Parts: sequence; C-alpha cells; structure tokens
Amino acid sequence: MSVEAYLPRVHSQEVTEIRPDRGWLDLDLGAVWRFRELLVVLMMRDIQVLYKQALLGAGWAILQPVFAVTIFTIVFGYFARMPSEGVPYPLFAFAGVLPWTYFAEAVRRSATGLVTDSELIRKIYFPRLIMPLANVVTPLVDFCIAFFILLILMAFYGMAPSWKFLLVPPLMVVSALLALSIGLWLAPINVRFRDIKHTLPFMIQIWMYASPIVYPLSMVPEQWQWAYSLNPMVGVIEGFRWAVFNQGEPNFMALGMSGVIILVLLVSGLIFFRRMERSFADVI
Amino acid sequence: MTELAITARGLGKRYRRLTRQRHDSVRDIIGASVAGMFASNKVREAKREREMFWALKDADFDIERGENVGIIGLNGAGKSTLLKILSRITTPTTGTAQINGRLGALLEVGTGFHHELTGRENVYLYGSILGMTRQEVAAKYDAIVDFSEIEEFIDTPVKRYSSGMYVRLAFAVAAHLDPDILLLDEVLAVGDFAFQRKCMNFARELERKGATILFVSHNMFSIKTMCQRVIYLKKGQIVFDGPTNEGLKLYEDDSRLEDVVWFRDGAEAPIKFTDVVLANERGTPVSVFDFGEPMTVKLRYKVDGRLERPDIRVGFERHDDVACATFSTSSDGVDIPYLEGEGEIELRTPPIKLVSDLYTANIVVRDARATIVAAQIGGHFHVRHPVFTNPAYGLYHEPGEWRLSAAAERRDEVKHGAR
Repeated sequence: MSVEAYLPRVHSQEVTEIRPDRGWLDLDLGAVWRFRELLVVLMMRDIQVLYKQALLGAGWAILQPVFAVTIFTIVFGYFARMPSEGVPYPLFAFAGVLPWTYFAEAVRRSATGLVTDSELIRKIYFPRLIMPLANVVTPLVDFCIAFFILLILMAFYGMAPSWKFLLVPPLMVVSALLALSIGLWLAPINVRFRDIKHTLPFMIQIWMYASPIVYPLSMVPEQWQWAYSLNPMVGVIEGFRWAVFNQGEPNFMALGMSGVIILVLLVSGLIFFRRMERSFADVI
Repeated sequence: MTELAITARGLGKRYRRLTRQRHDSVRDIIGASVAGMFASNKVREAKREREMFWALKDADFDIERGENVGIIGLNGAGKSTLLKILSRITTPTTGTAQINGRLGALLEVGTGFHHELTGRENVYLYGSILGMTRQEVAAKYDAIVDFSEIEEFIDTPVKRYSSGMYVRLAFAVAAHLDPDILLLDEVLAVGDFAFQRKCMNFARELERKGATILFVSHNMFSIKTMCQRVIYLKKGQIVFDGPTNEGLKLYEDDSRLEDVVWFRDGAEAPIKFTDVVLANERGTPVSVFDFGEPMTVKLRYKVDGRLERPDIRVGFERHDDVACATFSTSSDGVDIPYLEGEGEIELRTPPIKLVSDLYTANIVVRDARATIVAAQIGGHFHVRHPVFTNPAYGLYHEPGEWRLSAAAERRDEVKHGAR
C-alpha cells in the first residue's frame, strides 16, 4: 500500500450549489470549459467507433460523396445540362456535396445524439451541451478525408489551389456553428418527442434541394436571391466554391445573411437548450 | 471553512405521474391541448395536481465530512431521486443543496462503456465520464487494470467480454475515482465473492482516508457494516435520520401492511388482512431468516360479508420485484368453502432455499372466478445465506452432488470420488 493512502485526505475546495432554477440568461458556459476533457474524450470515442467493424472502413467517407456526385453528374450535368459556372460539372457538384454532407451529418448527429447516449444522460452528470458540441465535430473527419478526393479531382481537371484555400477552415467553422445551432433546437425536442428522428431525413433532403448544390446560385431569379439567401447554407456553399475554385466574386450578401441568421439561431438555441436541459434525465 | 460535506434544505422533486395521458408524439399533445383549452381553469388545476406526485419532499439533512450514511427505504421511496439530485443529473423542484468537495456518483457501474472499444480505450472513456482527468487515468491505469484482474483481455473490444469481466473493469475504474464524497447506488453487489470482498475493502479504504459515502442499498448487512447512520425514506419523505440499528429496526417494523402498488382497485376489497406476522419455527416474529429455515406466516383477516371459495396465496418477491415463490391454498390442496367475519390463517413453509437478499411477502386473494379481490404487502424479510450473499449467485440454492473423474494415471488418488 502506498504511503499516501495513510495521509489524511486533502479535500477539494470545490463547492457545488444545487438549486431548482436558473435565470434565463445563465448559460454557464464555464461548466463546459471545466468538462473540456470529457468533450475531447467523447469526440475521440465517436471518431474511434466511426468505422469499426465496417469492411471498407474509412472508405465510406469517400464512397458516399463520390456516389452522390456521380449520380448528380449523370442526372443534372449530363441529362439536364445544368450550368456550372465554368467549372467541370463533377467538380462543381463535389464542391457543393462536400460541405453539405458534413452539415447534414452534423445536424443529424447533434439532433439525435442525446437520445443515442440516453444511458449517460440518465446516470451521469455533465453539462449536456457537451453532447451536441462533440457531435458536430465528429463528421469533420469524413470531411477531411473527402477533401483529399476533391484535391485529386482538381488535379485531374488541371486546377490549382489558390491562397483562398485558407478560407476553407473558417467556412467549415461557420457550417459547424450552423449545424450546432440547429442541433441545439432539435435535440431537446427529440428528447421529448422522437418525431424529430423521423422527420429529419426528409427535412435534410428538402433543405439540400433548397441549397445551391446541384445547381448554381445564378439559376435563382435575381429578384428572389435575397429570399433564397435566407437559407444560411447558401452563403456557406457559395463561399466554399469561391474559395476552392478561385472564380467569380464572393457573395457577401449571402455570407452576411448566413452570419446574422446563425448568430440568432445559436444564441436562442443555447438559451433553449439550457432551459430544457434540466428535465432531460427525467423525460429521456 | 465548513466541516460539512453536504447540506440539504427542503429538497423536493415533483414528477408527472405516468398515466395513460402521457404524450409520446406531437399528435397526442395537440389533441390533449385542444381538449385542455375547453376545460375551465379549476378543472385544469385539479388535473395538474392529480398528475403530479412528489418523489422527494422537504428533505433536510447535513452530512459531515467522513461520515458514511446509508439511505434506506422501499422501492419508489425516493432514494434514487435523492442521489440523482445530489449528483446533479436532475434538478430539484424545490430546495437547495450545497456540496463541499469533489463528488463522485456511481448510480450504475459501467454506464458509458462503449461496446466497440477495447478495454483499454474504455478505461479512459469511463474515467473521463466519471470526472477524472486524462492524466489521472493515465497515472492510475496500471492499478486499475490490476484491480480488474482481466489484464490479458485489455485490448479486446468489451463486446466480447462476459458480463462479469465487464463489471470488473467498470468497477475497477470507478474504484479509483477517489472523490471526497461518493454516492453509491447498490453497486457493490457485483461480481463474485472474492471480487466483492475486494470492493468492500476498497470502500473501507476510502472511508479510512476520510471520504464521505452516501450508500443506497437494500442489503441490510452491507448497510450495517458500512454505515453508522441511516436516513430512512418513506414515500418521498425522511421519516428517520439517526443511528443505523435504530433506523433499520424502524424500517423493518414499518410498512408491514399496505396495499400492493399495482392493486389500486377503487372498490373496497371484500377481505382485508389486519395483521401479518412472519415468524420462525418457534413462532417468534423475526425479520431475518437463515438459509434453510422454515417460515411461519400468520395472517389475521377480516371479511366483509362472505367470500366464497377463496384462493389465498402468499408469494415471496425479491426487492427488485422478481417473483421467487408462491404458496397457494388451492394448489397446495387446501379447500376453503368460504370465509366469514374474522379469523386467522397460518402457513408453514418448507425450508427457505433463497440466497441472501431482501424479500417481500405478498398476500393475494382470488375469488371463485379467479379474480384478484385483494392484494397486500405482508412485510419484508431478509434471508441470510452463509456464502451466497448477492444476486450474482442466482435466486435459489440447493447443494449439488459432485463427482470427479480424473485422468487415468491419477485415478488412484481420487478413488473415493468415483463410484
């Protein structure tokens, strides 16, 4: 037995107050910071198990977008002769599918993650905010893998990356924040009503066609572009294409619109989530 | 600097009763809210009150540093709710609590284990979930693996583990949490005998180091060995807070006669049991029976009118509602033409072959058409088995007959073992 076992215990100075209610604006983000190790560990766990016991393993991260782009290229590029702003259509579609696939997966994970880990919610305390936070990070792994395919595809078509590639990470942060804010709204509802789980797939499907993925923003009639840009993913995807292909002008209106909408959704989502969090363990 | 580990003032938790009106989908809730709109305020208020119940109410207590306190009470008395509030899994409806020091809660061993990950990966994952830092887990890693005794499987995914190995590894991590205050919910009752002893030693070690332990258990024996003080909860309220022996006695004497939870027939039962005594062979009322000891159950009844051809049943249930045995007048060949007025019924059971645990004796009466007309809790009792002290050994024990046949060259040595 170690010597320290015989020493009197040095008690931690930690004091925890337990009370029924908090104010509306007490977001207690400090608690999330204190539990940052758990956040990292949960992210690691999700990444570690992502492709366990799958024959193709991380190959799925490549196959999924490649299949989608192949189909889009045949249907929209070849049959429908969709314009693609001077970029070969497969490249054009890939640059849209890439951030979209990340976003869709991040929304799906963050909206349903609490229920997937309901055992943890029921039996262990931690700031619940950690769950959706970890959930939006995990699919970035897939994104990074698929991004290499985009680079190979660009090399194949003889396109060189420009300095604007540096704008890809901040754009991904924006889409992560958007996915998080949607998740903050949907996750507490999903805890109470599992309907979210069933609605989500076609919500995401509809959202995809409302975003400039298989067609360019320029296809949308000019007088309606402002309304179209209310979809925060418009700015992200257009920005992504601009950064990757270094062509045309950045759409500042769409990006600015995305920023404002994300900010509103994020703050309201945080308040909503913190408000609902108290009853998670009781109703999940 | 206070010497108190936990102070609780007026802690309460109100839950919505799980009725048929529970809404599980949006369609249900829309329907219910439309109906609710047409109800008057008063009706709505009354309905709300009916739907709510207090799982815990007005809990006041102080727990000093280094104290070991047992929390006892029947199922649904609020024990788990109290632990869940103190561990911050759920928020109280009323009241406040202050916790001084690092708190570790073990409400279930192994929550958070991921099946696809290896034992090693799970040690880190589970350690973090319980509130350890990565460096802490890394520093204690060897000790944890050592404690778990499953070193050779540490790089195997835990889905390939047997349930015993799983629990061992999980408990080994939990045991190295080393908090100032530990909340334990019946988790010591895991693993085999040797491992259990190890766990108990670990709890004692923590105790010796000055940790505060709050311990929920149905097992009177572990409460007795671990705690000097008990808090006895009944229907969400603290009815006793003091020395262990006194509290345990109160707990056993108490609630000998009540209606079984599932039997809430609005109508008055035609037969009521006014007294139930669980006694030993000599007729002395006791609450602890040794393994293999027969029991005498004495029932005093009162019948409203006349009860034709009743079937009287005494059933034993383990504390977690697992039905263990039933004695029935009709299946035991006793024909009761009718019961009237007051009287006594006595049942002598064969030797009880249950393992150590807390059991409930229930009394159920069926009428001639086999409809249940009365159901009451007839008291709680412990069985003490010399070796089999937890549910890991099963429910029932009877010594088996063993035969050994050895390899040819060693046959002589074990001749007495063969027939």
